[in-house]
Amino acid sequence: MSELLDEFTLIDRPEKNEPLGPLFWICLGWLALNIFGAIFANLLPLPDPNFGNYSAINAAPGFHHLLGTDDLGRDIFSRIVFGSRVSLAVGAGAMVIGFGIGAPLGMLAAYRRGRFDAVLTTFMYVLLAFPAIIATIAVLSFWTPRALLKIIIVIGFASVPVVYRVIRTATMNIATKDYVVAARIQGATDRRILFKELLPNVAPIGVSFLLIGIATVVILEGALAFLGLSVNPPTPSWGNMINESRTVMAQNPWLVIFPSLAMCLLLLCLNFIGDRLRSHFDVTEVKL
Amino acid sequence: MVMLLGIVFVISVGAFYLIHLLPGDPAVVILGTGDNPHNRAILYKELGLNKPIWDQYFIWIKNVLHGNFGTSFISQTSVASTIRAALPIDVELIVLSQILAFAAAIPAAMRSARHPDGPLDRLLGATSFTLLSIPPFIVIVLLVLLIAIKLQIPHTGPSSYVSLASDWVGNLESLALPAFTLAIASFVVYYRVLRSDLIATLQEEFITLARSKGLSSRRIMWRHAFRPSSVALLGTAAVNIGGLLAGGFVVQYLLAIPGLGYTLIAAIAQSDYLLVQGIVLVVSVGVIVINFLFDFFINLIDPRISRE
Amino acid sequence: MSEELLIVKGLTTTFATASGPLTAVGDVSFTLGENETLGIVGESGSGKTVLSRTIMGLQPRTNVAVSGSVQLNGFEVVGASEESKRSIWGTEVAMVFQDPMTSLNPVMRIGKQIDETLRVRLGMDKAAAKDRALELLELVGISSPEQRYRAYPGHLSGGMRQRVVIAIALACSPKLLMADEPTTGLDVTIQAQILNLLDRLKTQMKMSVVLVTHDLGVVATRTSRIIVMYAGRVVETGSTRDVFKHHRMPYTRALLESSPKIANHSHTRLQTIPGRPPNLLNLAPGCAFAPRCAYATQRCHQERPELEPSSEPGHSFACWNPLPASAS
Repeated sequence: MSELLDEFTLIDRPEKNEPLGPLFWICLGWLALNIFGAIFANLLPLPDPNFGNYSAINAAPGFHHLLGTDDLGRDIFSRIVFGSRVSLAVGAGAMVIGFGIGAPLGMLAAYRRGRFDAVLTTFMYVLLAFPAIIATIAVLSFWTPRALLKIIIVIGFASVPVVYRVIRTATMNIATKDYVVAARIQGATDRRILFKELLPNVAPIGVSFLLIGIATVVILEGALAFLGLSVNPPTPSWGNMINESRTVMAQNPWLVIFPSLAMCLLLLCLNFIGDRLRSHFDVTEVKL
Repeated sequence: MVMLLGIVFVISVGAFYLIHLLPGDPAVVILGTGDNPHNRAILYKELGLNKPIWDQYFIWIKNVLHGNFGTSFISQTSVASTIRAALPIDVELIVLSQILAFAAAIPAAMRSARHPDGPLDRLLGATSFTLLSIPPFIVIVLLVLLIAIKLQIPHTGPSSYVSLASDWVGNLESLALPAFTLAIASFVVYYRVLRSDLIATLQEEFITLARSKGLSSRRIMWRHAFRPSSVALLGTAAVNIGGLLAGGFVVQYLLAIPGLGYTLIAAIAQSDYLLVQGIVLVVSVGVIVINFLFDFFINLIDPRISRE
Repeated sequence: MSEELLIVKGLTTTFATASGPLTAVGDVSFTLGENETLGIVGESGSGKTVLSRTIMGLQPRTNVAVSGSVQLNGFEVVGASEESKRSIWGTEVAMVFQDPMTSLNPVMRIGKQIDETLRVRLGMDKAAAKDRALELLELVGISSPEQRYRAYPGHLSGGMRQRVVIAIALACSPKLLMADEPTTGLDVTIQAQILNLLDRLKTQMKMSVVLVTHDLGVVATRTSRIIVMYAGRVVETGSTRDVFKHHRMPYTRALLESSPKIANHSHTRLQTIPGRPPNLLNLAPGCAFAPRCAYATQRCHQERPELEPSSEPGHSFACWNPLPASAS
């Protein structure tokens, strides 16, 4: 419906929420495909990702090896699928920790305010001031031997302050809105308010941030791989693959392109889905 | 102000403690094959590592306040001088990348705000997602692939960085690729923030009044719309630049640019505690200072904020 | 008969909205001579602000369609490019906006906002512009202009801010001043001051004024002619006296009766117009006021009345069942 706020200010607010669009579903499909591939990689008819066929080094994409082979004769497509396990596990795992700890704390702090909030927030802000990436690198450098779980834990804990801040801010914005105050006045219990008023309104922002967070963590894993801090070879990970490709770039451009493409596509989908969800649920956004 | 100092203090403690918590022993690195408990004890005594941790901290912080960051066990050079050599490179890299990012983002955002849903707006809207989804290290790797392979320019080696003092043309050349890479992500963020702010500002009544004065579009955009809209932009820039200072290491490492990031990585690898501490402290302080400066500028631009 | 300064013919403004086209101004025609003051009266949503902006050419650039003709001193506004409109904005016609807090740039000093017009449009240099700006500030009745010159809008009171807006509008001595609800939102005591100021200035600077308002009290003594608008169309127009004393359209009467009068006894019930302003997206056929009109007939709900002349010269109204002539 269109509203003439005053004489001249026309607010054009579409009746329905901003549609998600076909591209949204395509991206969601791609994401699902990635997840499926990661979980069921073992069951899929893929060549062993660690088996090096020395008679077919640096092969171009073809029938036997869909995306070619790397400099040790290993099938790239298979390695990419298995590599997605690392990226998705790190992304999801770290966010589970980050959100699992940061989100409830953030919501509680924003809702309760008072000393609890003051102390906790100051603590978190101090943690935030400390460059998280450096801490991550430092810890991972020394916490040998390398393991996927360790990476997930370190990145996960490093992301707690960021999640905390975002969720807290979002909750504060909503908690001060009139309808929450109204609920309070009506005598709703805290628990009810948290679950019925705050959570549904913070959830869209949370989910959107979650997806962006996964994307960020995937990038981080890639960066760590370049520093040799990701999972140990020969375990495939996209970051490792791209890193390894640097030395054989001239002979095998496919080793650069395909893992990069895989990573970028996943990131694109995550970002896009996150953004679409945000604009779909943000009913206050005014269309121009 | 006091709060800032407090934060810096806590960070310094944190940095110190964290690093000392980590396994990894400089003694191993220094002594090499001569490593045995006896030598270790002597080394510890020499380096003062046998004192309780609090004492070590206070000694360190006292020295820092006098400008003495200590002498690295590993490289035997003063930490302060190492930092002093590396920091300007970071600064230059950041400055160059931000110049590129702003020079592209501001005109683009203005054009898109004036013609929303026009061809430029749509194009940039679609590509911005794509650009955001390409991590810097992939950008570099792909660009190197492109340049080295397709254009047949030999892959630059570790000595590719040329300092400003010796040859400013070479300097700009060597920093062009990393600056460009860092500029991309910055550009996307700045463009989006500024565009949405400008669109909102252009709806305001005082813009209509400016229009009714018969002022040109250009003037309205630059003199009236830009200033209030730049607040969010500056806020974003502060966060972004802080992030670059702390996180620009990948780019540096890949292209062997000896900035703080690169030095930090090497230091961690070598368990060079003092250097790591020093760099972390400098970077953290840097981020805080940047935030402070930007807050100051924002106040200059929009006096309403200080009055609130 | 003075050469007409402003000739409006069949002006129609349509917005393209998500829910369909919205005709905010429908087929408005009138003329305005030099040194005349015209009042445009109506409730919120009657289209009066859109009309005033469209006359100037200040409507938004996207999703708006304007048809008809607006001739300002020979310059055709409808269909003119933004660039050519700029040549008349400020120098031929200027606008005083409703809310001075939002119409002044909050982060620019007011002196600079006045200077800007002078330097860009009249080519004055910095010193000359400042002098003239100070003169203008005095002209609009701001005391200690040197001090105020450097102030930000937020530092000034509402009345002073509106004076600044007027100063900006007058800077290049336009021949036509559009005043869009210039006093709504100001304190009642300030309202009178600002209106008196406008009166004085219009004589002093020999301007014609279009005064847009919902408040009949404002137009009663300060305008020579009035247009009454409802749902985007003109429903009655004539000299101020005729509209007040010899109105024919029931809506005009309802408007007049709904404003409280000093002569009423205390505790007199405030008259209101029953019903709500119409939804412009979904206008029923027939007269737009019919659903709320006490005198509506069958025809009123089916066929929209056109403006017909009344007994007095220059007075016309649009109604199938008008009030009897010379009723007052």
